[in-house]
Amino acid sequence: MKKTFIAAALAVLASGLAHAATEADVENTFNPYKGGFPKAAGLSAGTVINKGNADQFKDVLPAGVFKLLKDGLFEIKVGPTTQFELSKPYIEATRKNLGKAKLGAKNGDIEGYVAGRPFPEEPDAKDPRAGEKLAWNYKYGVNWGDNAAIYPFYWKYRNMQTGQVEKTLKLNMHFLNFKHRVKDAPTPEVTPNPSELFRAIYMKVLEPQDLKNTQLLIQRYEDDQKLDDAYLYLGFQRRVRRLATGQTTDAFLGSDLMIEDFEGYNGRISDMKWTYKGTKNVILPMWNHSELKLAGDMPAEGDGYKYVNFGGQGGCFHEGTWQLRKVYVLEAAPVNPNHPVSKRVFYMDAQLGNLNGANEIYDRKGELWKIFMVGKSHPDHHLPLNKGSGIGIDDAFSMVDVQSKHCTTGQFKGQVDAKLNPPSMFQVQYMRGGD
Amino acid sequence: MKNRSNRAQPALTLCALAVASACASQAFAEDNLPDMGSSAEPWKVDTFYENHTAFRGRDDTGKVVGLSKFRNTMQVEADKKLSGGWAFHGVFRGSWDGVYRMNKGQYGEDAGGAITSQSILGGTQTTVPWGTTSPAGPIGYTAVAGLGLPGNVFMDSYPNNPNAGLRVLGDRWHKTNGGVGFATPVRPCNVDSRGCADFGGYGDKNLNELEFPEFNSRLDFIREAYVKNSIDIGGGQELFLKLGKQQVVWGRTDLFRVLDVVNPVDFSRNNIYDELQDIRIPMWIAQAEWRMGASESMQDRNLQLIWNVDQFRANNLGQCGSPNVALDAGCFFRGMKNLWDNGGTVANFANVAPNTYLATNFGPGQIGLADVNLPKWSLANTQIGGKFEGVTMGGLSFSVNALHYRSQLPSLHGGKRATNSFTGAYQNAWPYLISFDMNFPRVNLLGGSLDFQSETLGAAFRVEGAMTWGEEFANTIKPELFSKNRVWRSVIGVDRPMFVPFINPHRTTLFSGQLFWQHIFDHELESTSMGMRGIPDFKDNVIGTLLMKGFMAGDRISPQLIIARDFRARSHAIAPAVEWSTTDNLKFTFGANFKGGSNGRNEFDDCRSCNPFAPFTSGSYPGDPMTAYSRGLAGMEPLGRFRAGPIGAAMREDEIYLTMRYKF
Repeated sequence: MKKTFIAAALAVLASGLAHAATEADVENTFNPYKGGFPKAAGLSAGTVINKGNADQFKDVLPAGVFKLLKDGLFEIKVGPTTQFELSKPYIEATRKNLGKAKLGAKNGDIEGYVAGRPFPEEPDAKDPRAGEKLAWNYKYGVNWGDNAAIYPFYWKYRNMQTGQVEKTLKLNMHFLNFKHRVKDAPTPEVTPNPSELFRAIYMKVLEPQDLKNTQLLIQRYEDDQKLDDAYLYLGFQRRVRRLATGQTTDAFLGSDLMIEDFEGYNGRISDMKWTYKGTKNVILPMWNHSELKLAGDMPAEGDGYKYVNFGGQGGCFHEGTWQLRKVYVLEAAPVNPNHPVSKRVFYMDAQLGNLNGANEIYDRKGELWKIFMVGKSHPDHHLPLNKGSGIGIDDAFSMVDVQSKHCTTGQFKGQVDAKLNPPSMFQVQYMRGGD
Repeated sequence: MKNRSNRAQPALTLCALAVASACASQAFAEDNLPDMGSSAEPWKVDTFYENHTAFRGRDDTGKVVGLSKFRNTMQVEADKKLSGGWAFHGVFRGSWDGVYRMNKGQYGEDAGGAITSQSILGGTQTTVPWGTTSPAGPIGYTAVAGLGLPGNVFMDSYPNNPNAGLRVLGDRWHKTNGGVGFATPVRPCNVDSRGCADFGGYGDKNLNELEFPEFNSRLDFIREAYVKNSIDIGGGQELFLKLGKQQVVWGRTDLFRVLDVVNPVDFSRNNIYDELQDIRIPMWIAQAEWRMGASESMQDRNLQLIWNVDQFRANNLGQCGSPNVALDAGCFFRGMKNLWDNGGTVANFANVAPNTYLATNFGPGQIGLADVNLPKWSLANTQIGGKFEGVTMGGLSFSVNALHYRSQLPSLHGGKRATNSFTGAYQNAWPYLISFDMNFPRVNLLGGSLDFQSETLGAAFRVEGAMTWGEEFANTIKPELFSKNRVWRSVIGVDRPMFVPFINPHRTTLFSGQLFWQHIFDHELESTSMGMRGIPDFKDNVIGTLLMKGFMAGDRISPQLIIARDFRARSHAIAPAVEWSTTDNLKFTFGANFKGGSNGRNEFDDCRSCNPFAPFTSGSYPGDPMTAYSRGLAGMEPLGRFRAGPIGAAMREDEIYLTMRYKF
């Protein structure tokens, strides 16, 4: 007991002694390329990385991506590194609340946080809780902003060896921040919010027939120690069913994703032990949607929007361009020994603070299991309504299961539009009011 | 004696989402639907076809039943956004079950046959002819007249009730074994109209109506047809309206209908084994929700009011002679109706000497089921309910439900009018006489539900409970052979995903257990020298279910096992199945359900010893020979079915099946 207390006190002290954030840190965190974009030998816009030359670029490739390239499963076309300027209100909130956020005694505790990026300072390898701070930067990151929808969202389950598309889901996915809102009314919080919810995700499956009307609602509490509430509405049962904890780490609707994989990491900070492993320059899938060669085999959208194309082995890989980015390498090991994952490795984009560019997911035996790559589009080169949103628009994902040689791909139509995400949508009753 | 089971009937989720092929193309349907408003949004139409084929093994007669289902279903689901925020949703279904033609010896025009009856002679069970008094047959008019009762109305033969197309009631699942036994006609009502009456949507169907169950005067092919709208009423609150033919689903548990009682259920489709979504009988209902959203003390609040304006519908328990007759009740009703209309031989009835019970040829209008009093449509007969649903600050979801409705299961009121078999005297009431009318009493329900999760246990819990007032139970202590009793029903369910490496090392297998408990208040049960009398339903009954469902190959293959145990009835069902989705549009399910246990201890007072026509029916029973009351003599029929429950009464209906569903 005494030892625990001392350890906790030391941890608080250590994090307190870490570098106090300054205005310069704010400038740096949101514009890490102020001094110029990163470079790597032999790498430039137009470079194609494949099995033949992957070794040459190993240092700038996420480990999982390197393996996929070495296995000859796909190739990467490199584009220029570009600025992904974040939402101005978010930057302003960071500046206004600079230095207010402090880690609490336990993993998952935070004090004094108001809005914006809680820990804008550069992570310090000597800070034992640097990884945790990065995790908080993700949790309270811009991500999809105060509210947004992927409307619609196509998932395809593919056999990577044969290319057979086994199942196609059409769904809508909605996001709402209840708290720490900085841009869209109401700010800073959707009220009343007696449970102190921080954020919620709502999903509704439209196709195929056997999953039609399946709905998922995840409510995350502001108190990170409190378990998420997750509800599933099954169309064929017409009931809302509360999900048990273990069901959020299951293959969701038979895909290669678990609920915990959503957005890169969709769980509590306190569920993981976070370790900052260093800062690097690596390539991540980030592009301008309007400049890509887009899919011609997808359903037509009324507004002419087209989805990102897929190719490579089994059609498992999005065909956007990748760019060299400054990233923080972050590891997360589940606290629960029964968790199906032993470790997640993230390459956190230093500018956006997102976790889903290129993740490696290791199974319980410690062997590489899945690689998750979410490509982002600059909002100004996407749908007109996303222009100026300051949000990196998730545009396509590949979740590749290297053990079962299977993948799930996702094609997004991301819309940063508050009207698509009314607060009532994120209540349990909304799920029951359908068909 | 009155029949009805108030046991909740578990709809074992064999998830028989079968499949097959459809007739009309989606494009055809879309092109031909009416515009319905100014919205430019097109119709969204899904069409699918399903074939469900099932085979049954030997029933209790020792004969293999064979094909028990060849059901072909076409379903069209149509959605259209209308103007003003309204949206239309329709589900239209038509089925044709070929079993009535393909296995007509069991279920069609050739079903049944000539039967025999039984007498106990000096303690020995002896087969005797049915419907005739010779040779050495049941007691009839002549024999009783020979006792100095020339005015008796027993029968020596039945010119209008021939011994053809009959089965002995309950012979599919138990032997007569010295108990009451009588005939039930089993052919479609256009072939044999004996015992046919509308028991609440079944009981009087001809072959075509059995083959095509949705095409009837209640327009059951319209599974659902409603419009809905959410109207913003300010302050983050909404008024949600849903008007039309619909299902209203209450509660949180699977399989058991504790709160999920707004819509009646069609057990004739696949007994208790289809998804409730497919067997709830949609009703014309007006539903309004005041979605209040969060408050300072609760995260979510919703008040729902429902007004079921439809004419009353009962649960469809299945017509006798069709493959799915829940609790074998449809056969009991048809046999009883035939007894009233035409009379018939009743096995082991007349206790003429100790250990001697002779089959007896009753005439019409003496015993049986006379009138079915289905509630007519009137404003007073509409049904109303309300539900408050909320989520607390701590994340506990709960509901409080109230419903004023009609019992969806029939109640038989006994001791009614009849002609004294021995004297020919007619009376408007004969206490303890097994002369019944069928009624559907008013019931009030008050209940609630909640769910929560335990991080420590890695499990989600679901709880439901409800008290009802007004339900009626068979009660052989009462002169009218029924009593009203309050009933408490509750279910607790636990969902816990666990890794089963040989099924899937990366994906948990779902283990879902539920325990159902029913308690009947003021339950009456007395022990007599001849047996028990009172309410056949157990005062406290517990049914447990366990679902184990695994997922393989990206959830495209899903093996599952359902085990259900009725603890008091000592019966169980084991239902393994494998679902295989070959594509997004084609899915197969192969499965079986096997029942086991014993009905040996489910015999109950059959009112042979009730002595309604005192002193003629006093036999050698104990007690005052001039007083009518039950002495407790027992047999499996007719009340044993209410102790056996839906599993025990289907004990000899082991079945394998294959379903195929194809979406166009």
